[in-house]
Amino acid sequence: MEKKTLGAKGAACDPASYIDDRPGDGVFRLRRAVYGDPAVFEAELDRIFGRCWNYICHESQITAPGDYFATRIGRHPIFVIRGDDGAPRGFYDSCAHRGTRLTRRRKGNARTLTCRYHGWCFNAEGRCTLVRGGDEGYTREAMAALDTDLRPIAGLDVYKGFVFGCLDDAAGSLGDFLGDVRPFIDLIADQSPQGMEVLRGDSTYMMKANWKLQTENSTDGYHVASVHRNFATTLGYREQISGADGMAKTEASRILDLHNIGSGGYDLAGGHMINWSDRGNPRAAPLWDSRDELLKHHSEGKVRWLVERGQTVTVFPNLLLNDVASTCIRQWRPLAPDLTEIDTWCLAPIGEGAEQRRARIRKYEDFFFPSSLAVPDDVSAMEGAHDGSLAGGGWSEFALSRHTMIDGPDDAARELGVNVRTSNPGRESETPFYSFYREWLRRMERP
Amino acid sequence: MIPFDATLTAEAADLLNREAYLLDRRQWDDWIALYAEDAVYWAPAFASDDEMTDDPDNDVSLLYMDRNGLEARIFRIESGDSYASDPLPWTAHLVTNILVTDIRGDQIDVSASWLVHSFKRIYGSIQRGGLYDYTLRREAAGLRIARKKIMVFDDRITGPLDIYNI
Repeated sequence: MEKKTLGAKGAACDPASYIDDRPGDGVFRLRRAVYGDPAVFEAELDRIFGRCWNYICHESQITAPGDYFATRIGRHPIFVIRGDDGAPRGFYDSCAHRGTRLTRRRKGNARTLTCRYHGWCFNAEGRCTLVRGGDEGYTREAMAALDTDLRPIAGLDVYKGFVFGCLDDAAGSLGDFLGDVRPFIDLIADQSPQGMEVLRGDSTYMMKANWKLQTENSTDGYHVASVHRNFATTLGYREQISGADGMAKTEASRILDLHNIGSGGYDLAGGHMINWSDRGNPRAAPLWDSRDELLKHHSEGKVRWLVERGQTVTVFPNLLLNDVASTCIRQWRPLAPDLTEIDTWCLAPIGEGAEQRRARIRKYEDFFFPSSLAVPDDVSAMEGAHDGSLAGGGWSEFALSRHTMIDGPDDAARELGVNVRTSNPGRESETPFYSFYREWLRRMERP
Repeated sequence: MIPFDATLTAEAADLLNREAYLLDRRQWDDWIALYAEDAVYWAPAFASDDEMTDDPDNDVSLLYMDRNGLEARIFRIESGDSYASDPLPWTAHLVTNILVTDIRGDQIDVSASWLVHSFKRIYGSIQRGGLYDYTLRREAAGLRIARKKIMVFDDRITGPLDIYNI
C-alpha cells in the first residue's frame, strides 16, 4: 500500500511515525521531531487548523453593529463583524477586488468597510456596496459576472459567548466539535447570571517554540511545582512584607502543596483535556462572595467546581480557558515550526463588585502577561523544550502516573455530572495528553 | 508646561539617569531606594491599536505595583529560581528628552523618552521603547520617585518584560 505523504513542496510526513501509542503494552511516546519538522507544520496548517473550529474572540468584544475583530486561522486572515441584524458573521479579510486586507485595526467598528487600495466598499453583511468607478470601468455584462461580495468563512458559531470559526464546509457542528469539554467551558462562562466580559487591556507575545508545546503546557500539571515554584515563593514573600489579607491574598500556596490539595486530570476525548486542583484558599478567590447567588442557578456540585476548584480547560487545538490564579482566555497561533504568537485576555463576570474586580485584575497581572511572574517562566520552559527537541532521535514518554489512570469519571467529575474518557488523580500526570495527540493523529491521517 | 528651570531640570535628569544606571548595573537595593514608600509603578497595556488602558482598577495593565511589588520582583530575580530571569539579559537604558512639565507643591512631573537595548543569547538583541511619566517628590533626603508610568510602545513581545528591561 502506498505510504501516506503530506506537506508542502514535496516534503513527506508520515503522521503515525511520530506517535507510538500501544495501550496494551502501556506505552505512549512522542517522537520529538514532531515539534520542529517543517513538513509536519505545513500539514498541520491544512489538516488541523484548516479543518477544525478555531476560537476567534469573545462576544463581549463585538457588542455593537459594525464591531469587528480581526485575526488569523492558520495562515488565513479572517475577521468577525456584527451585522445590523445583531448577528456576527465571519469573512476572509480580503477585498473581493484584488485581495487587500480590509480591517484597519485588530478590533474596531465599521458599518462600511472601505478597501484603502482601490476604494471598494462592503457592508457588515459582506455585500459590496460600491465598486468605485464601476459604471465606467466595466460593461454591464462584465460587472454582472464579477464576484463582488466578501467571501464568508465556512462556519461561524458561538458557544456561551465564545466565538469560533472554521474554514472547512465538512467540519460538522461546533457543538459536536466541543463535545465533552462543554461542561468545563461552562465553569468559565457561567460565573455570573449577567454573563462574562473581556476586560480592556490585552497583550500579544511571541514564543520561539512549536505551538503544540503550548497546548501541552496548558494541561501540564507537572511543571507547576517546578516552573512556578518561583511564582509561589515570590508571592509568599510579597504577602509577608505587605501583610496582605482577604482577597488581596493569593492561593499560591497550592502550588507547593502537592499532597494535601485535591487535584486531577481528565482526557475529555476530541483532543480536549483539563487539569484541576482544589483552591488552597478559596476565600481569596474573587468568586467566593458570589457563592449564594450561584447556588440559585447551579447544582451544588457545579458551584463547588466554580468556587472551590481551579481548572485549566484546553480546547483542541489552541485555546486555553484558565481559571486558576485568575480568569484568562489564551490563544496561540502557529507562525512557523519554531514560532508561536500568543494572545491573552482577562475574562470577568459582568457586574462583579469593585473589590472583586480589582483583585481579579491584580491576580491576572501576577500570572498571565509576558510581564507577569509566571508566563515568562512558562515561555522559557517551552523554548527550552523546543530547542532540546532538536537533539536528534529523541522520544518523549508520556508515562507519568499512567498506573493511576482510570477509565471514566472520578468522584470530582461525577460531582459535576460530566463524561470524561479517563481520569487521573493528582495534577502530576501526563495521561490527559493522550486526548490531544490521538485527535492530532486522527486529523493528520485523514485525507 | 512650565518655563525652563535649569537647576530643577538638572536635578530631575540626574535622578532619571541614576535609575537607569542602577538598573543596568543590577544594583537593585540602591535602585529601589529611589522610590518613595508609597510609590506607584505602572505600565499600562494596549486597549486597542490607538489607546492604552487608563484605569488600573477596571482595566488590565502590564504592571501595576506598589513598592512591595517592586521588592517582590527583586526577590524573584535574585532567587535564581525563575527560568526566565536566569540568566538576565544585558540591558542599556537610554533615557532622553527629559522635561519638567509641572510643579505641584513638593511634587514635580517629569516626562522622558526611553529605549532599552537588551541582549540574551536565545533572543539576540531586542529594542523596546516608549515614554516615561514620572512624579518626583521632594523628601528630606532629596528627590524620590512617587509615581512612574511606563508606556511600552511594543506589543508582540519577545522574551520577558520586567523591571529591568523597560
